Amino acid sequence: MKILTRFLAALLLLALLLSIAGCGGQSSLPSATDKPPTETAGKKDENKDSSKKPVEIEFWHNYDAGAGQIDVLNELIAEFEKENPDIKVNHLYLEWSALRNNVFTGASTGELPDVLRGDIGFVPQFQSLDILYEMSSLPDYKDVAAQIMEAPNSTAKMGDKFYGIASNTNTKILFYNKKMLADAGLSVPKTLDEMWECAEKLSNSKTIGFVEAWTGVWNIGQYIWSYGGDVMAPDNSTATGYINGPVSVAVVQKLADLYKKKALSGPTLDPGALGDTDGWAAGVYAMEIDGPWRYTMAQAANIDIGAVQMPPGPAGSIGVLGGEDFMLFKTSDDEHREAAWKFIKFMVGKKAQVAMAKVGQMPVNKEAMSDPEALEAMPLLPIFEEALKTARSRPVTPKWSDIENIIATKVAEAITGQKDVQKALDEAAAEIDSLLASD
Amino acid sequence: MVRADRNIRNKSIYAVKNKMYLLLLLVPGLAVLVLFTFYPIIKMTVMSFFNWKIGFSQTSEFVGLKNYIDVFTDPIARTALVNTLYYALITVPAQMALGLLAALLIYGIKKFSLSFRLLYYLPVITSWVVVALLFRYIFSNQGLLNYIITDVLHISDKPVGWLSTRWPALTATTILGIWKGIGWNMVVFLAALQAIPLELFEAASIDGANSAQRFFYVTLPCIKGTILFALVMLFIGAFNTFTPINVITGGNPAHQTEVVLTWMYFQTFGTVGKMGYSAALSVIISLIVSVIAVILFRVIKPENSGGRL
Amino acid sequence: MKSAGRFNYRYIILIAGLVIMVFPMIYMVTSSLRPNNQTFTYPPKIFPKLSEITFENYAYVLVRQNFFMYLKNTLIVAVMSTFLSALLSSMLAYCISRHRFPGRNLLFGTIITIMLIPGLAMLVPQFELAVAFKLINKLWGVILFYTAWTIPFSTFLIKGYIDGIPKELDEAIYMDGGSILTVFFRVIIPMASPSLAAVSVFNFLYPFEELGWSQTILKIDAKRTLPVAITQFFQAHNRTDWGYVFAMTCLAMIPVIVIYLLLQKYFVSGLSTGAIKM
Repeated sequence: MKILTRFLAALLLLALLLSIAGCGGQSSLPSATDKPPTETAGKKDENKDSSKKPVEIEFWHNYDAGAGQIDVLNELIAEFEKENPDIKVNHLYLEWSALRNNVFTGASTGELPDVLRGDIGFVPQFQSLDILYEMSSLPDYKDVAAQIMEAPNSTAKMGDKFYGIASNTNTKILFYNKKMLADAGLSVPKTLDEMWECAEKLSNSKTIGFVEAWTGVWNIGQYIWSYGGDVMAPDNSTATGYINGPVSVAVVQKLADLYKKKALSGPTLDPGALGDTDGWAAGVYAMEIDGPWRYTMAQAANIDIGAVQMPPGPAGSIGVLGGEDFMLFKTSDDEHREAAWKFIKFMVGKKAQVAMAKVGQMPVNKEAMSDPEALEAMPLLPIFEEALKTARSRPVTPKWSDIENIIATKVAEAITGQKDVQKALDEAAAEIDSLLASD
Repeated sequence: MVRADRNIRNKSIYAVKNKMYLLLLLVPGLAVLVLFTFYPIIKMTVMSFFNWKIGFSQTSEFVGLKNYIDVFTDPIARTALVNTLYYALITVPAQMALGLLAALLIYGIKKFSLSFRLLYYLPVITSWVVVALLFRYIFSNQGLLNYIITDVLHISDKPVGWLSTRWPALTATTILGIWKGIGWNMVVFLAALQAIPLELFEAASIDGANSAQRFFYVTLPCIKGTILFALVMLFIGAFNTFTPINVITGGNPAHQTEVVLTWMYFQTFGTVGKMGYSAALSVIISLIVSVIAVILFRVIKPENSGGRL
Repeated sequence: MKSAGRFNYRYIILIAGLVIMVFPMIYMVTSSLRPNNQTFTYPPKIFPKLSEITFENYAYVLVRQNFFMYLKNTLIVAVMSTFLSALLSSMLAYCISRHRFPGRNLLFGTIITIMLIPGLAMLVPQFELAVAFKLINKLWGVILFYTAWTIPFSTFLIKGYIDGIPKELDEAIYMDGGSILTVFFRVIIPMASPSLAAVSVFNFLYPFEELGWSQTILKIDAKRTLPVAITQFFQAHNRTDWGYVFAMTCLAMIPVIVIYLLLQKYFVSGLSTGAIKM
């Protein structure tokens, strides 16, 4: 019995702790959103004059709180709700992988948001689950899309239908540690070949010339394209002769050579290597082809960073398109979908796009792109705008994420020297083709 | 007659009442188990025979054993299984030996016993994510260990790639597994040691047994049951390894350091439409663990089922 | 004299082991006292200079990050799931240990088998259940599943312990006209309380550790538990604020240590018989 009393005492202590914690907690409850099914009794007074209850739409996104994007989002939502008193937007931040995982786990039950703003790569993935609403079937989709740059919006296009609309875009450019280049007496590389040489010269026992965060097409596609090759046939029917074609093999061989000379690294190649952000901050990495976030992060870490468009290869400087798209889901009823679409139109409008540009989201709205306020907030915008003209989207095909996984695995095997480059890429081509043939 | 009758009736009422109570005691626990574990297990087994589509409007197609064949012919699944076995075969005995050692040492001291027990137990109660991050930092190319080797001891001027390739990276992970598991084993073995009757030791001492003999002839046989218990629990734990690999290597490079659960997680969430494959993989893992458990029970069954150990 | 010598070597080995055991923890604590951007610097520094020590990370975590709210959520989950699991497991264990009913062996066998199946493996079907019962973003969604996951191990341990309780005690109650409920509450619960305490420590610690499920179920900030809140600091495309991570982890360990200290005595005695009687 004594033990029980002791046990009860422990529980009691906990209850006490709880009540203390409760006081601390309640006062600082965040403005987190709750699920729609909860009663909106408290809100009734605010909407006395409107005859019906507002439509609550649920919005999932991964805007970056650290960069102040969530604050901007809150302001934008407040403004949107003011303009549309019959709509209430409940937004929910989910980290990149959590965002995708939650859609995956929710796909079987229909537990999905009304609007989602997520990686362009999600469009084909979600479409393959048959949960996305075809946005181009909305009557005014064409008019809205016309305000938006064509290349970024192509990331939402599958076949001749659009399953989303661009929210913001980016591509990758060359970032370099100014001090490290100057110390080595090197000038900024003018071509990809020069860039590889430069990477070798910048590497020693403490530093590594070049970092790649992954080995997918997001990372190697830009080189294969710029050297005049491709990863898949233009109609996405086969990978044979493309991913294992001479250009791809030469590019991957180059990367494998650099890896062997310890002039290229990254955590997916070498789990002991620092991640790109930590490595930049520690002054280990000298160069990276990366997106606009690299600039903000380098500044936060007090690294003097330079940026130019990715040096061209023989076929030019063809970067890879990144960014996020807005998506609608089949699970919403008409009323919610209409409200959600209104919200999307607001978010791709000039005003919202400029506001987001100020906190680091590169706009897709044509007018916002040349807005002086946006330009002032993003000094690299002109470089990116130039790069975006030639940037390419990765193939938008339902099995794309599986295809890119195959490529990432095989390329990593080749670069780390586990397999001969040609053999690894031949295997990749065969696996992709058999994947395309199945179903 | 009347009395006997009433007695029987009383007894049967009593028995019926007790049956009701038995049901009352069983049903809540059973309900929770059936709903939240039996059902998902059955569902998972069913899924493993389908090309399972997760979209709510999609129909799944029966594919028989295809998913199982896919698992068995998948070289990465094999790598993951071998890696898991490697992890289990290193961490399980090492944790047990070190945990038992710590328990024996703490059992033999009088002062500060509680402090040692708490401090040795601390790693067990720290979050896996955080300790895995710490270990990644220790073993990384620019980490603490390489700093000591290159800049403090000057053994080598080049950092060693502890995490760069498959086997060293897995070994680093096993060190984390051992480190985090010692405390748990210590507590379990300490419990077993405290249950050994002191007379046994005294008797052995009188017979002239030295401390090694006492350990092998008294202690070890007495804690056999606990060793079996710990073995089974630790094997289950080893097959459940997820966070350390996920944080330290992420399965990289090229899935070379994947263990079964990280590979399953990757197939579930990192790809599209491999739900059936993941389900088949988890059925296979469950079967393997069950077989290991059965073998362990057979090999070292505590012979004295009656009486106190 | 001899005992003094033995006395010494035990302490020496234990202290040597202790250095290895607690070193990473010390590193964690010192890192939490360092400015955020200096956690993983090269060359590594284990101890910050006195002038560098800052409580800014703690201030941030406590004030800006609703630490107490996350703690409250975690404690609610821990207390509820520990209580439910202890109650339901001891009920099951008592029935299996003391009573014959159809399917008894099957039930015990199944419970042991469930212990062997990796919890993560059932993520998708379990999520479907959670949705069906409207448990998304509710602490109950975590409590009920944790209870279900901890029942097999708890039942197994408590059953082993109950097996060792003399049956004469039950009989005495039956003689007095008591029912099996009386036996359960008057004999089994008090006698088996060390094993209940032991499994409760394990079960109580679980919510402070588990991530995969809680992350899937608790998507809104107001419901997050500590492990989910801590992982919020790791972001795919972003810098991780290590100082915050370590500060929050250190704080999250305090209740865990308190519980361990309070119950550790029973923890050990409860495990002993339960674990031995396989």
